[in-house]
Amino acid sequence: MDPIRSVYEDDPDMMEIIEEFAEELPGRATAITEYIEQNDWPNVQTLAHQLKGAGGGYGFPQITEAAAALEQAVKDDSDTTLIKERAGTLCEILRAVTVTESS
Amino acid sequence: MNPEVPKANRVLVIDDSESIHKLVAARLKAEGLEVKGEVDGERGVERAVAESPDLILLDVGLGDVDGFEVCKKLKEEPETRNIPVIFLTGATGTEDKVRGLDLGAVDYVTKPFDQIELRARVRAALRTKRLQDMLEQQSFLDGLTGLWNRKYLDRRIESELTVARRYNRPLSLVMCDIDRFKILNDTYGHLFGDIVLQGVSETLRGSARRSDIVTRYGGEEFAILLTDTALGAGAFVAQRLRSSVDARHFDANAEHVSVSVSLGIACTHDLGAEISTENLIEAADRALYASKDAGRNCVHMNKAGDISLVDPDIGPDIFQEKRR
Repeated sequence: MDPIRSVYEDDPDMMEIIEEFAEELPGRATAITEYIEQNDWPNVQTLAHQLKGAGGGYGFPQITEAAAALEQAVKDDSDTTLIKERAGTLCEILRAVTVTESS
Repeated sequence: MNPEVPKANRVLVIDDSESIHKLVAARLKAEGLEVKGEVDGERGVERAVAESPDLILLDVGLGDVDGFEVCKKLKEEPETRNIPVIFLTGATGTEDKVRGLDLGAVDYVTKPFDQIELRARVRAALRTKRLQDMLEQQSFLDGLTGLWNRKYLDRRIESELTVARRYNRPLSLVMCDIDRFKILNDTYGHLFGDIVLQGVSETLRGSARRSDIVTRYGGEEFAILLTDTALGAGAFVAQRLRSSVDARHFDANAEHVSVSVSLGIACTHDLGAEISTENLIEAADRALYASKDAGRNCVHMNKAGDISLVDPDIGPDIFQEKRR
């Protein structure tokens, strides 16, 4: 997957918090994977819900879209294969996020 | 509660994700707003009660309790009832939005939010809040003189008494009455009477200290609440109020009319710990009557029932009296 950048990365009000947000994403991806292995659906749903709400605001509409799909799958009690597939897509996106190193 | 000093608008974000707090703060930076965040609904309510922000942005899907419950609580507490709430909703369905609005929220913003929309909605909510605050303030102001009215005084004495008791600080009250106002009114007309009321109000306000609360008690009577002020220091302020009014005169049909006031002062520290609003007003009133009886245009103080004339030449060194 190609690197993903925030659409707001040039906004001086946003630069710093985008960087902070992006730094947390690999950790979130790991957490989602772990919760799924433990069948801990409520925590998967919470994390997906939070990423859905924040992603677009930080300039990553792909995160919001993939997290919404995952949240919906957990909410609907979908079969584990679908949940895992959607979680995989989301985690791939989270790990592809890149920010310009601030000097 | 000073009508001249506007404070910066403060926004409280209650959302279980700190990423949202930071995002809202960054997006509202341009509006010059102070943004604070709370992840927990229960603590969010406590914080709203303690800090009374101007606006609350509330997430519908909080971790511990749902946002609707938090909104209900905010609308039940007297301290937070009038703070506008904007719901942050992730849901695209109308059900959540309608439910939020029915619970008393003024608006909603869907997450992820568009920054321009967020700013516009926040501005609109704050504008309404300002108007609401202004209306509330107006119900505490006297229309003719622009001073605080009696309703405000009653409330303010109650709360200042609590503070004075808690920190063992003196609280003084000056009652002030325009001398022979009825005769002025009958001789020069009610329009002139109004001008005198306005002029005396202006003089009292100008001669009082910034922290003094000058109110129109009713008719030609004024009450001035002096926070953190003992009897002696208060008597000095009262003398200054008296001499400022005395130095002023009013023009009626090319005639100079001088106006004077009589004053009485009492202080909580001389009246015992269990003093009520009524006791304090009564004590100051008795001192005021003594000034009327003594020939007007003077100040009397009531020290635990012992009423005495205050020397017109009382010096500011009285401020050096010891705090108890």
